[in-house]
Amino acid sequence: MRDLYRRLGVPPDSDGETLSRAIAACEHRTLRRDAEAVLVEAEHRREYDALHATLGDIGRLRSRLGLTHGAHWRDGLADDFSAPADLAGSHHEALMRRLSQAALAHDRWRRGRALGLGLGLFLLGLLAGAATCHWLLG
Amino acid sequence: MSIARFTPFERLLLTSRHQADTAALLLLGWVLVNQGPVGEDQRARLVSLTRDFRHGHDLAPLLEIAAAQDLDAIQLAAEVLQREARGGYPFLRLAIALAAGQGEPSPANHHVLRFLADLLGVPPQEFAALYEATSQRPLQEPADPSRHAYWQPRFEERARREEARRQAEEQERQREEESRKREEGRQQRETRGEQQRRESRDNDRRREEQQRQREEQRRRESRDNDRRREEQQRQERQHYQPPPGGRQGRALQVLGLSDGASRQEIRRAYRRLAQAHHPDRFHAEGEAVMASASRRFQRIKQAYDYLMREVS
Repeated sequence: MRDLYRRLGVPPDSDGETLSRAIAACEHRTLRRDAEAVLVEAEHRREYDALHATLGDIGRLRSRLGLTHGAHWRDGLADDFSAPADLAGSHHEALMRRLSQAALAHDRWRRGRALGLGLGLFLLGLLAGAATCHWLLG
Repeated sequence: MSIARFTPFERLLLTSRHQADTAALLLLGWVLVNQGPVGEDQRARLVSLTRDFRHGHDLAPLLEIAAAQDLDAIQLAAEVLQREARGGYPFLRLAIALAAGQGEPSPANHHVLRFLADLLGVPPQEFAALYEATSQRPLQEPADPSRHAYWQPRFEERARREEARRQAEEQERQREEESRKREEGRQQRETRGEQQRRESRDNDRRREEQQRQREEQRRRESRDNDRRREEQQRQERQHYQPPPGGRQGRALQVLGLSDGASRQEIRRAYRRLAQAHHPDRFHAEGEAVMASASRRFQRIKQAYDYLMREVS
Protein backbone atom coordinates (compact mmCIF):
# COMPACT_ATOMS: atom_id res chain seq x y z
CA MET A 1 0.00 0.00 0.00
CA ARG A 2 1.21 3.51 -0.69
CA ASP A 3 1.32 6.30 1.84
CA LEU A 4 -0.95 8.83 0.15
CA TYR A 5 -0.36 11.48 2.80
CA ARG A 6 3.35 11.32 2.27
CA ARG A 7 2.96 11.44 -1.48
CA LEU A 8 0.65 14.43 -1.27
CA GLY A 9 2.99 16.08 1.20
CA VAL A 10 0.48 16.59 4.02
CA PRO A 11 0.45 15.28 7.58
CA PRO A 12 -1.86 12.29 8.16
CA ASP A 13 -4.03 14.17 10.66
CA SER A 14 -4.75 17.13 8.37
CA ASP A 15 -8.35 18.23 7.99
CA GLY A 16 -10.53 17.92 4.91
CA GLU A 17 -9.81 21.39 3.59
CA THR A 18 -6.03 21.01 3.63
CA LEU A 19 -6.43 17.64 2.01
CA SER A 20 -8.64 18.81 -0.80
CA ARG A 21 -6.27 21.69 -1.46
CA ALA A 22 -3.33 19.27 -1.63
CA ILE A 23 -5.30 16.95 -3.90
CA ALA A 24 -6.23 19.82 -6.20
CA ALA A 25 -2.59 20.92 -6.34
CA CYS A 26 -1.37 17.42 -7.16
CA GLU A 27 -0.08 17.17 -10.69
CA HIS A 28 -0.05 13.42 -10.93
CA ARG A 29 -3.35 12.36 -12.49
CA THR A 30 -3.51 8.81 -11.16
CA LEU A 31 -2.44 9.84 -7.70
CA ARG A 32 -5.08 12.54 -7.68
CA ARG A 33 -7.78 10.09 -8.70
CA ASP A 34 -6.69 7.60 -6.03
CA ALA A 35 -6.52 10.27 -3.36
CA GLU A 36 -9.99 11.48 -4.27
CA ALA A 37 -11.41 7.97 -4.05
CA VAL A 38 -9.72 7.19 -0.74
CA LEU A 39 -9.39 10.36 1.29
CA VAL A 40 -12.37 12.50 0.35
CA GLU A 41 -15.01 10.02 1.50
CA ALA A 42 -15.05 10.04 5.30
CA GLU A 43 -15.85 6.35 5.58
CA HIS A 44 -13.11 5.30 3.17
CA ARG A 45 -10.64 7.57 4.89
CA ARG A 46 -11.37 6.02 8.29
CA GLU A 47 -10.65 2.57 6.95
CA TYR A 48 -7.55 3.73 5.15
CA ASP A 49 -6.28 5.54 8.23
CA ALA A 50 -6.60 2.44 10.39
CA LEU A 51 -4.48 0.44 7.98
CA HIS A 52 -2.13 3.39 7.59
CA ALA A 53 -1.52 3.43 11.34
CA THR A 54 -0.90 -0.31 11.50
CA LEU A 55 1.55 -0.18 8.61
CA GLY A 56 3.34 2.76 10.22
CA ASP A 57 3.66 0.68 13.38
CA ILE A 58 5.02 -2.26 11.44
CA GLY A 59 7.48 0.01 9.65
CA ARG A 60 8.78 1.37 12.95
CA LEU A 61 8.95 -2.11 14.44
CA ARG A 62 10.94 -3.32 11.47
CA SER A 63 13.34 -0.43 11.68
CA ARG A 64 13.92 -1.05 15.38
CA LEU A 65 14.36 -4.78 14.91
CA GLY A 66 16.64 -4.45 11.89
CA LEU A 67 14.07 -6.04 9.56
CA THR A 68 13.78 -3.26 6.98
CA HIS A 69 15.55 -5.53 4.52
CA GLY A 70 13.16 -8.42 5.14
CA ALA A 71 12.10 -10.35 2.08
CA HIS A 72 8.38 -9.78 2.70
CA TRP A 73 8.80 -6.04 2.95
CA ARG A 74 11.46 -4.60 0.70
CA ASP A 75 9.97 -5.58 -2.62
CA GLY A 76 6.35 -5.21 -1.63
CA LEU A 77 3.89 -2.37 -1.72
CA ALA A 78 4.58 -1.47 1.89
CA ASP A 79 7.90 0.16 1.12
CA ASP A 80 6.39 3.62 1.68
CA PHE A 81 6.27 2.86 5.36
CA SER A 82 9.92 1.98 5.84
CA ALA A 83 11.42 4.05 8.58
CA PRO A 84 15.16 4.72 8.70
CA ALA A 85 17.02 2.19 10.81
CA ASP A 86 16.67 2.93 14.48
CA LEU A 87 19.90 2.71 16.42
CA ALA A 88 18.19 2.83 19.81
CA GLY A 89 18.98 -0.83 20.36
CA SER A 90 17.12 -3.82 21.62
CA HIS A 91 14.34 -3.49 24.17
CA HIS A 92 15.18 -6.86 25.59
CA GLU A 93 18.76 -5.86 26.31
CA ALA A 94 17.53 -2.62 27.86
CA LEU A 95 15.16 -4.60 30.05
CA MET A 96 17.96 -6.93 31.14
CA ARG A 97 20.19 -3.94 31.85
CA ARG A 98 17.54 -2.33 33.98
CA LEU A 99 16.89 -5.57 35.75
CA SER A 100 20.54 -6.02 36.64
CA GLN A 101 20.68 -2.39 37.75
CA ALA A 102 17.72 -3.00 39.99
CA ALA A 103 19.39 -6.10 41.41
CA LEU A 104 22.61 -4.17 42.04
CA ALA A 105 20.71 -1.38 43.72
CA HIS A 106 18.93 -3.90 45.88
CA ASP A 107 22.25 -5.53 46.84
CA ARG A 108 23.76 -2.19 47.66
CA TRP A 109 20.79 -1.30 49.76
CA ARG A 110 21.05 -4.53 51.74
CA ARG A 111 24.76 -4.10 52.27
CA GLY A 112 24.17 -0.47 53.26
CA ARG A 113 21.48 -1.59 55.62
CA ALA A 114 23.80 -4.13 57.35
CA LEU A 115 26.52 -1.51 57.60
CA GLY A 116 24.12 1.07 58.93
CA LEU A 117 22.74 -1.39 61.46
CA GLY A 118 26.26 -2.21 62.73
CA LEU A 119 27.17 1.45 62.91
CA GLY A 120 23.95 2.24 64.75
CA LEU A 121 24.51 -0.52 67.29
CA PHE A 122 28.09 0.65 67.80
CA LEU A 123 26.99 4.22 68.40
CA LEU A 124 24.26 3.04 70.73
CA GLY A 125 26.82 1.00 72.70
CA LEU A 126 29.13 3.98 72.85
CA LEU A 127 26.34 6.16 74.10
CA ALA A 128 25.30 3.57 76.66
CA GLY A 129 28.94 3.21 77.83
CA ALA A 130 29.28 6.94 78.18
CA ALA A 131 26.05 7.10 80.10
CA THR A 132 27.16 4.29 82.45
CA CYS A 133 30.52 5.98 83.05
CA HIS A 134 28.77 9.21 83.76
CA TRP A 135 26.43 7.52 86.20
CA LEU A 136 29.24 5.60 87.94
CA LEU A 137 31.56 8.58 88.20
CA GLY A 138 28.89 11.17 88.82
CA MET B 1 19.35 5.04 44.60
CA SER B 2 17.44 4.85 41.34
CA ILE B 3 14.27 2.83 41.36
CA ALA B 4 13.84 0.75 38.22
CA ARG B 5 10.35 1.10 36.78
CA PHE B 6 8.82 -1.60 34.64
CA THR B 7 5.91 -1.39 32.28
CA PRO B 8 2.95 -3.77 32.75
CA PHE B 9 4.15 -6.04 29.97
CA GLU B 10 7.68 -6.17 31.36
CA ARG B 11 6.29 -7.19 34.73
CA LEU B 12 4.19 -9.89 33.08
CA LEU B 13 7.21 -11.12 31.19
CA LEU B 14 9.42 -11.17 34.27
CA THR B 15 6.90 -13.06 36.35
CA SER B 16 5.92 -15.43 33.55
CA ARG B 17 6.70 -19.09 33.89
CA HIS B 18 7.65 -19.25 30.23
CA GLN B 19 8.73 -16.00 28.60
CA ALA B 20 8.53 -17.15 24.99
CA ASP B 21 4.90 -18.20 25.51
CA THR B 22 4.01 -14.85 27.05
CA ALA B 23 5.64 -13.06 24.12
CA ALA B 24 3.89 -15.32 21.61
CA LEU B 25 0.58 -14.71 23.35
CA LEU B 26 0.97 -10.95 23.11
CA LEU B 27 1.76 -11.16 19.41
CA LEU B 28 -1.23 -13.44 18.83
CA GLY B 29 -3.33 -10.91 20.71
CA TRP B 30 -2.04 -8.28 18.33
CA VAL B 31 -3.12 -10.41 15.37
CA LEU B 32 -6.54 -10.87 16.98
CA VAL B 33 -6.99 -7.15 17.55
CA ASN B 34 -6.07 -6.42 13.94
CA GLN B 35 -8.67 -8.90 12.71
CA GLY B 36 -11.53 -6.78 14.05
CA PRO B 37 -13.39 -6.18 17.29
CA VAL B 38 -12.57 -8.76 19.96
CA GLY B 39 -15.64 -10.43 21.42
CA GLU B 40 -16.21 -13.49 23.56
CA ASP B 41 -15.91 -15.83 20.56
CA GLN B 42 -12.56 -14.46 19.45
CA ARG B 43 -11.21 -14.69 22.97
CA ALA B 44 -12.39 -18.29 23.26
CA ARG B 45 -10.64 -19.12 19.98
CA LEU B 46 -7.39 -17.63 21.22
CA VAL B 47 -7.67 -19.61 24.45
CA SER B 48 -8.37 -22.87 22.64
CA LEU B 49 -5.48 -22.30 20.23
CA THR B 50 -3.01 -21.58 23.03
CA ARG B 51 -4.08 -24.19 25.54
CA ASP B 52 -0.58 -25.75 25.46
CA PHE B 53 1.09 -22.52 26.55
CA ARG B 54 2.83 -22.57 29.92
CA HIS B 55 2.90 -18.88 30.82
CA GLY B 56 0.77 -19.24 33.95
CA HIS B 57 -0.94 -15.85 34.11
CA ASP B 58 -4.20 -14.27 33.04
CA LEU B 59 -5.04 -13.50 29.44
CA ALA B 60 -6.94 -10.27 30.10
CA PRO B 61 -4.01 -7.91 30.88
CA LEU B 62 -2.16 -9.15 27.80
CA LEU B 63 -5.16 -8.56 25.57
CA GLU B 64 -5.46 -5.06 27.00
CA ILE B 65 -1.86 -4.32 26.07
CA ALA B 66 -2.44 -5.75 22.60
CA ALA B 67 -5.61 -3.70 22.13
CA ALA B 68 -3.71 -0.53 23.01
CA GLN B 69 -1.21 -1.44 20.21
CA ASP B 70 1.63 -0.66 22.60
CA LEU B 71 4.58 -0.59 20.21
CA ASP B 72 7.26 -0.97 22.87
CA ALA B 73 5.58 -4.03 24.33
CA ILE B 74 5.15 -5.56 20.88
CA GLN B 75 8.79 -4.91 20.07
CA LEU B 76 9.91 -6.54 23.30
CA ALA B 77 7.66 -9.54 22.63
CA ALA B 78 9.06 -9.81 19.09
CA GLU B 79 12.62 -9.77 20.42
CA VAL B 80 11.87 -12.43 23.02
CA LEU B 81 10.12 -14.60 20.44
CA GLN B 82 12.97 -14.18 17.95
CA ARG B 83 15.46 -15.16 20.63
CA GLU B 84 13.61 -18.07 22.17
CA ALA B 85 11.59 -19.66 19.39
CA ARG B 86 13.25 -22.66 17.81
CA GLY B 87 12.04 -22.34 14.23
CA GLY B 88 9.03 -20.15 13.66
CA TYR B 89 6.64 -22.73 12.22
CA PRO B 90 4.52 -23.59 15.28
CA PHE B 91 3.99 -19.96 16.13
CA LEU B 92 3.26 -18.93 12.54
CA ARG B 93 0.74 -21.75 12.25
CA LEU B 94 -1.12 -20.38 15.25
CA ALA B 95 -1.01 -16.84 13.88
CA ILE B 96 -2.34 -17.98 10.49
CA ALA B 97 -5.08 -20.05 12.12
CA LEU B 98 -6.11 -17.01 14.13
CA ALA B 99 -6.08 -14.58 11.22
CA ALA B 100 -7.41 -16.82 8.45
CA GLY B 101 -9.48 -19.29 10.45
CA GLN B 102 -12.73 -17.60 9.51
CA GLY B 103 -12.43 -16.10 6.07
CA GLU B 104 -9.78 -13.93 4.54
CA PRO B 105 -7.44 -12.07 6.92
CA SER B 106 -7.95 -8.32 7.23
CA PRO B 107 -5.59 -6.17 5.11
CA ALA B 108 -3.77 -5.17 8.30
CA ASN B 109 -3.24 -8.80 9.24
CA HIS B 110 -1.83 -9.57 5.80
CA HIS B 111 0.99 -7.22 6.69
CA VAL B 112 1.24 -8.37 10.31
CA LEU B 113 1.59 -12.01 9.23
CA ARG B 114 4.32 -11.10 6.77
CA PHE B 115 6.10 -9.12 9.44
CA LEU B 116 5.99 -12.14 11.75
CA ALA B 117 7.30 -14.36 8.96
CA ASP B 118 10.21 -11.98 8.43
CA LEU B 119 10.80 -11.83 12.15
CA LEU B 120 11.14 -15.59 12.36
CA GLY B 121 13.14 -15.85 9.15
CA VAL B 122 10.57 -17.70 7.05
CA PRO B 123 11.07 -16.73 3.37
CA PRO B 124 8.05 -15.90 1.15
CA GLN B 125 7.78 -19.25 -0.62
CA GLU B 126 7.86 -21.27 2.57
CA PHE B 127 5.42 -18.89 4.18
CA ALA B 128 2.98 -19.21 1.29
CA ALA B 129 3.16 -23.00 1.54
CA LEU B 130 2.62 -22.87 5.29
CA TYR B 131 -0.32 -20.54 4.85
CA GLU B 132 -1.97 -22.78 2.32
CA ALA B 133 -1.41 -25.87 4.48
CA THR B 134 -2.86 -24.17 7.56
CA SER B 135 -5.82 -22.27 6.16
CA GLN B 136 -6.65 -24.47 3.11
CA ARG B 137 -6.57 -21.36 0.93
CA PRO B 138 -3.86 -19.93 -1.29
CA LEU B 139 -2.08 -16.88 0.05
CA GLN B 140 -3.36 -13.73 -1.65
CA GLU B 141 -1.47 -10.53 -2.12
CA PRO B 142 -2.70 -7.94 0.39
CA ALA B 143 -5.39 -5.66 -1.04
CA ASP B 144 -4.26 -2.10 -1.65
CA PRO B 145 -6.73 0.50 -0.34
CA SER B 146 -4.56 3.34 -1.57
CA ARG B 147 -5.71 2.56 -5.12
CA HIS B 148 -8.86 3.75 -6.76
CA ALA B 149 -9.56 0.18 -7.88
CA TYR B 150 -9.96 -1.08 -4.31
CA TRP B 151 -12.98 1.16 -3.79
CA GLN B 152 -14.43 0.60 -7.28
CA PRO B 153 -16.91 -2.08 -6.12
CA ARG B 154 -18.31 0.29 -3.51
CA PHE B 155 -18.66 3.10 -6.00
CA GLU B 156 -20.40 0.73 -8.38
CA GLU B 157 -22.63 -0.50 -5.60
CA ARG B 158 -23.61 3.05 -4.81
CA ALA B 159 -24.18 3.85 -8.49
CA ARG B 160 -26.38 0.76 -8.78
CA ARG B 161 -28.42 1.81 -5.79
CA GLU B 162 -28.80 5.30 -7.22
CA GLU B 163 -29.82 3.91 -10.58
CA ALA B 164 -32.45 1.71 -8.94
CA ARG B 165 -33.83 4.69 -7.08
CA ARG B 166 -33.93 6.74 -10.26
CA GLN B 167 -35.77 3.99 -12.08
CA ALA B 168 -38.30 3.71 -9.28
CA GLU B 169 -38.89 7.44 -9.51
CA GLU B 170 -39.26 7.18 -13.24
CA GLN B 171 -41.86 4.43 -12.93
CA GLU B 172 -43.71 6.46 -10.35
CA ARG B 173 -43.76 9.38 -12.72
CA GLN B 174 -45.01 7.24 -15.61
CA ARG B 175 -47.76 5.79 -13.48
CA GLU B 176 -48.84 9.29 -12.52
CA GLU B 177 -48.84 10.37 -16.12
CA GLU B 178 -50.93 7.39 -17.19
CA SER B 179 -53.50 8.02 -14.54
CA ARG B 180 -53.58 11.64 -15.59
CA LYS B 181 -54.08 10.62 -19.23
CA ARG B 182 -56.83 8.22 -18.30
CA GLU B 183 -58.59 11.03 -16.53
CA GLU B 184 -58.21 13.24 -19.52
CA GLY B 185 -59.63 10.49 -21.74
CA ARG B 186 -62.59 10.09 -19.49
CA GLN B 187 -63.28 13.78 -19.54
CA GLN B 188 -63.21 13.72 -23.36
CA ARG B 189 -62.22 17.33 -23.54
CA GLU B 190 -59.14 17.11 -25.60
CA THR B 191 -58.71 20.30 -27.53
CA ARG B 192 -56.53 20.60 -30.56
CA GLY B 193 -54.15 23.09 -28.89
CA GLU B 194 -53.51 20.68 -26.08
CA GLN B 195 -52.60 17.95 -28.48
CA GLN B 196 -50.15 20.21 -30.21
CA ARG B 197 -48.61 21.11 -26.95
CA ARG B 198 -48.22 17.45 -26.04
CA GLU B 199 -46.61 16.77 -29.39
CA SER B 200 -44.13 19.54 -28.92
CA ARG B 201 -43.40 18.19 -25.45
CA ASP B 202 -42.74 14.76 -26.92
CA ASN B 203 -40.46 16.34 -29.46
CA ASP B 204 -38.61 18.13 -26.71
CA ARG B 205 -38.20 14.94 -24.81
CA ARG B 206 -36.93 13.10 -27.86
CA ARG B 207 -34.42 15.84 -28.51
CA GLU B 208 -33.24 15.72 -24.92
CA GLU B 209 -32.84 11.98 -25.11
CA GLN B 210 -30.65 12.30 -28.22
CA GLN B 211 -28.51 14.93 -26.59
CA ARG B 212 -28.06 12.78 -23.50
CA GLN B 213 -26.94 9.84 -25.63
CA ARG B 214 -24.49 12.00 -27.49
CA GLU B 215 -23.02 13.24 -24.23
CA GLU B 216 -22.79 9.74 -22.87
CA GLN B 217 -20.88 8.70 -25.96
CA ARG B 218 -18.48 11.59 -25.59
CA ARG B 219 -17.89 10.83 -21.94
CA ARG B 220 -17.22 7.19 -22.67
CA GLU B 221 -14.68 8.14 -25.32
CA SER B 222 -12.88 10.53 -23.04
CA ARG B 223 -12.81 7.90 -20.30
CA ASP B 224 -11.23 5.43 -22.73
CA ASN B 225 -8.67 8.04 -23.64
CA ASP B 226 -7.91 8.64 -19.98
CA ARG B 227 -7.41 4.99 -19.40
CA ARG B 228 -5.08 4.67 -22.38
CA ARG B 229 -3.05 7.65 -21.22
CA GLU B 230 -2.83 6.24 -17.70
CA GLU B 231 -1.60 2.93 -19.03
CA GLN B 232 1.07 4.79 -20.96
CA GLN B 233 2.06 6.77 -17.90
CA ARG B 234 2.29 3.63 -15.84
CA GLN B 235 4.59 2.04 -18.38
CA GLU B 236 6.76 5.11 -18.39
CA ARG B 237 6.87 5.13 -14.63
CA GLN B 238 8.14 1.57 -14.50
CA HIS B 239 11.30 2.70 -16.22
CA TYR B 240 11.62 5.82 -14.17
CA GLN B 241 11.95 5.73 -10.41
CA PRO B 242 12.02 9.05 -8.59
CA PRO B 243 15.31 9.28 -6.75
CA PRO B 244 14.75 10.71 -3.26
CA GLY B 245 17.79 12.89 -2.92
CA GLY B 246 19.79 11.20 -5.65
CA ARG B 247 21.84 8.07 -5.47
CA GLN B 248 23.71 9.23 -2.41
CA GLY B 249 20.47 9.77 -0.51
CA ARG B 250 19.29 6.30 -1.46
CA ALA B 251 22.57 4.74 -0.42
CA LEU B 252 22.37 6.52 2.92
CA GLN B 253 18.81 5.28 3.31
CA VAL B 254 19.92 1.70 2.78
CA LEU B 255 22.33 2.14 5.66
CA GLY B 256 19.63 3.80 7.74
CA LEU B 257 21.36 7.16 7.86
CA SER B 258 20.14 10.64 7.05
CA ASP B 259 21.84 13.26 4.91
CA GLY B 260 25.11 14.65 6.15
CA ALA B 261 26.33 11.49 7.86
CA SER B 262 30.07 11.41 8.45
CA ARG B 263 32.46 8.73 7.20
CA GLN B 264 32.71 7.29 10.65
CA GLU B 265 28.96 7.05 11.07
CA ILE B 266 28.72 5.35 7.69
CA ARG B 267 31.39 2.88 8.63
CA ARG B 268 29.72 2.10 11.93
CA ALA B 269 26.29 1.63 10.35
CA TYR B 270 27.82 -0.61 7.67
CA ARG B 271 29.56 -2.82 10.24
CA ARG B 272 26.35 -3.22 12.22
CA LEU B 273 24.19 -4.04 9.20
CA ALA B 274 26.81 -6.26 7.60
CA GLN B 275 27.05 -8.29 10.77
CA ALA B 276 23.29 -8.61 11.00
CA HIS B 277 22.79 -9.59 7.36
CA HIS B 278 25.90 -11.55 6.54
CA PRO B 279 24.91 -14.68 4.59
CA ASP B 280 27.20 -16.88 6.69
CA ARG B 281 24.96 -16.25 9.65
CA PHE B 282 22.09 -17.93 7.85
CA HIS B 283 24.02 -20.93 6.66
CA ALA B 284 22.09 -23.32 8.87
CA GLU B 285 18.68 -22.07 7.78
CA GLY B 286 18.67 -23.29 4.22
CA GLU B 287 19.29 -22.14 0.71
CA ALA B 288 16.44 -19.65 0.31
CA VAL B 289 17.16 -17.76 3.52
CA MET B 290 20.80 -17.56 2.60
CA ALA B 291 20.02 -16.26 -0.89
CA SER B 292 17.80 -13.51 0.45
CA ALA B 293 20.40 -12.57 3.07
CA SER B 294 23.05 -12.42 0.39
CA ARG B 295 20.87 -10.08 -1.68
CA ARG B 296 20.44 -7.81 1.32
CA PHE B 297 24.14 -7.97 2.05
CA GLN B 298 24.98 -7.07 -1.53
CA ARG B 299 22.72 -4.04 -1.38
CA ILE B 300 24.30 -2.88 1.88
CA LYS B 301 27.81 -3.43 0.59
CA GLN B 302 27.16 -1.59 -2.67
CA ALA B 303 25.72 1.35 -0.76
CA TYR B 304 28.74 1.38 1.53
CA ASP B 305 31.27 1.17 -1.30
CA TYR B 306 29.55 3.95 -3.16
CA LEU B 307 29.44 6.18 -0.10
CA MET B 308 33.08 5.55 0.73
CA ARG B 309 34.00 6.73 -2.75
CA GLU B 310 31.76 9.80 -2.69
CA VAL B 311 31.73 11.06 0.89
CA SER B 312 34.94 12.59 2.10
